[in-house]
Amino acid sequence: MSVGMTTNAVFSVAKDEWRYWVRSKIAVSVLIIGLLLTISSVIVTLANMHELSHQRSSMQNNAEETFVDQPDRHPHRMVHYGHYAFRVPSPLSILDPGVDAYTGNSIFLEGHRQNSAMFADQKQGTGLTSLGSLSPAFVVQVLAPLLLILIAYSSMSREKESQTLSFILSQGTSIYALILGKGLALLSVVGLILVPLAIAGMYAVTQGESGIVVVGFLLAYFFYLLVWALIVLLFSSLFSKNSESFTALAFVWILLCIAMPRIASTTAATVSPSSGKLETDFAVLAELRTLGDGHNANDPAFAKLKASLLEKYNVDKVEDLPVNFRGMVASASEEELTHVLNRFAEQSMQDELAQTQISRYFGWLSPMVAIRSLSMISAGSSIETHHRFLREAEELRYSFVQSLNKVHVEQLSYIDDINRSKGEEAWKKARVSADNWQMIQDFTFETDAAETRLNRSIPSFLQLALWLGILAFGIRLAGRQSL
Amino acid sequence: MDVYVILLHQGLSVTKNNNSKALIEARDLCVDIKDATILKNLNFKVAAGEIYALLGGNGAGKSTTLKTFLGFNKPVSGNAVIDGQEVTSALDSVRSKTAYLPESATLYPHLTARENVSYFLSLADIKKTDAEIDTAFEKVALQANARERQLQTYSKGMRQKTAIALALLREAPIFFLDEPTSGLDPVAIDEFNQLVSDLAANGATILMVTHDVYGACQVADRIGLLRDGELVGEYEAPEGGRIDTEQVHIAFAQRQTA
Repeated sequence: MSVGMTTNAVFSVAKDEWRYWVRSKIAVSVLIIGLLLTISSVIVTLANMHELSHQRSSMQNNAEETFVDQPDRHPHRMVHYGHYAFRVPSPLSILDPGVDAYTGNSIFLEGHRQNSAMFADQKQGTGLTSLGSLSPAFVVQVLAPLLLILIAYSSMSREKESQTLSFILSQGTSIYALILGKGLALLSVVGLILVPLAIAGMYAVTQGESGIVVVGFLLAYFFYLLVWALIVLLFSSLFSKNSESFTALAFVWILLCIAMPRIASTTAATVSPSSGKLETDFAVLAELRTLGDGHNANDPAFAKLKASLLEKYNVDKVEDLPVNFRGMVASASEEELTHVLNRFAEQSMQDELAQTQISRYFGWLSPMVAIRSLSMISAGSSIETHHRFLREAEELRYSFVQSLNKVHVEQLSYIDDINRSKGEEAWKKARVSADNWQMIQDFTFETDAAETRLNRSIPSFLQLALWLGILAFGIRLAGRQSL
Repeated sequence: MDVYVILLHQGLSVTKNNNSKALIEARDLCVDIKDATILKNLNFKVAAGEIYALLGGNGAGKSTTLKTFLGFNKPVSGNAVIDGQEVTSALDSVRSKTAYLPESATLYPHLTARENVSYFLSLADIKKTDAEIDTAFEKVALQANARERQLQTYSKGMRQKTAIALALLREAPIFFLDEPTSGLDPVAIDEFNQLVSDLAANGATILMVTHDVYGACQVADRIGLLRDGELVGEYEAPEGGRIDTEQVHIAFAQRQTA
């Protein structure tokens, strides 16, 4: 067959496939329902994430305003008054909220402690919501393959079952023209599914998202759905009965979309076990107990500090120091315990990351695992981004606590400080000006740079590319077998 | 353009005699299916414009012969030759010259007769006007009010008429018919036989496989008796007459029980 003839045949087959879907009411109903589901999930998630973004920005501003509006106080009271850091979702979170729903999105920052992130939407739900919200990512990753199966499981097998295949081939039409035509029809369905995502992606660009990331994100979903279109075509070509093709594809869907992601996370937890939160908390507590009590300037743990200061300023007692010794103790204590807390936090994050990496290797075995990782990385809603939020929030916490400790050291005398409980006047003298609260830094959490996200997503792209290559080869073999 | 003219255009002889150029030829054809030898040194020729019926019981190798000429089976030795070309080495060229009617004319039930014909023509990159398609439908006597109905409402006879109309539009000079009258009522069989005779009269070369002795004798110029993949007898119609049904029937019965 000439190229032109083959091209015409491919388009004819694709056109007829659409005619078949339209006339067989089930296929067109499934298609309409699938598209409505995709569109509604995009609209709902977009509205939800937009609201969350606005809400968190507003709460961040409120927290900062409330902090600076505090009256004159003892600086250490402000250390315990605390502050908040909110993670504003990335623009592409409207398509894939990623770990946002599970990890918490705000942290209460205070002295001597590293609190966990709070207010994870899914944690606030009941077990009934454990499947997760109907985000566009979930719809396209899990439900769209099912949609492609329901529409096209019989695309090739029905030609065999009704013996039209041998009739078509006897007319001189190439089996590959037929498969390509069916593939082209499925590709148009893939295109339809991606339209709502593309529109939402363009909206994300207007919200500050990088254009190249959006293109990469959409390309990844195109590859993913193409993988599924090829899986459907392959199995439909392998079997000569529609029922066999459907059963096989349903099994493959369950395996790749339902079972494999769970096998991946279970394997990751088994291969790279991490300490539980309670266990870690006890270990942190035990180590912190070996440090001095920062509230007690007479704690023997700070004797060395005391001696060095007395020597440095050439005085005999702390009352004669030009700095507030209690503030110095609080500052030194904060530095020491932060070192310990960071070590445990870093270990915990490394454990989570190791598990995530193991889980991501399963992308070689399941395209759903590959796109799930790629989608979250591109959308800036992956575990790496959450870890950066935790680190930046911790930097903010340490910075504002030590800034307050510095005020404690420099603006409040040791005598006033130790006498603060001796009546109303003494208590007033142990306060510093509210002007000092202006030192609180604005906290704005930015999404990872486009280049960083693109680099991180390369392995998942390679996984999808491998799937495409293997499936294209498989279809070629299946086509030869059908001759 | 009718079939006769088409054949002349392609330089093919339409003379009905065994000395004319053979358009279909089995040369020492041996075919194995799943390690079982189905065709054993099969030899026969079908001349241009001739109707040749391969007659045989179940498992005689009729459908295998047809599928080998269609390029679906590869011979282990010997050749299936169409218009001088070996099927396996010139599949595209051979298929462009042949029209195949499976036992159950397998067109698309969700399409109308016109849509079916248009679709299959588009696959072969053949463009025909509605008027030309209507002419083909008229030739096969497919009623005008049925042409826009989906084939799921058609009888087998009507589906076969649609398939033959398609073959006419494809201007194929060679027809392969697989049990064409199986499941048809007597009136439809008569209509079909007349249609096949008309095709041959217009120059088409037809190889049909069947186990219907009466039907084969009614329409064929020659009959080859097939048993266990071997040709065990050939019968030829006398000039202007038909093959003796009784003679073939007895031979068929004897060969079946031999």
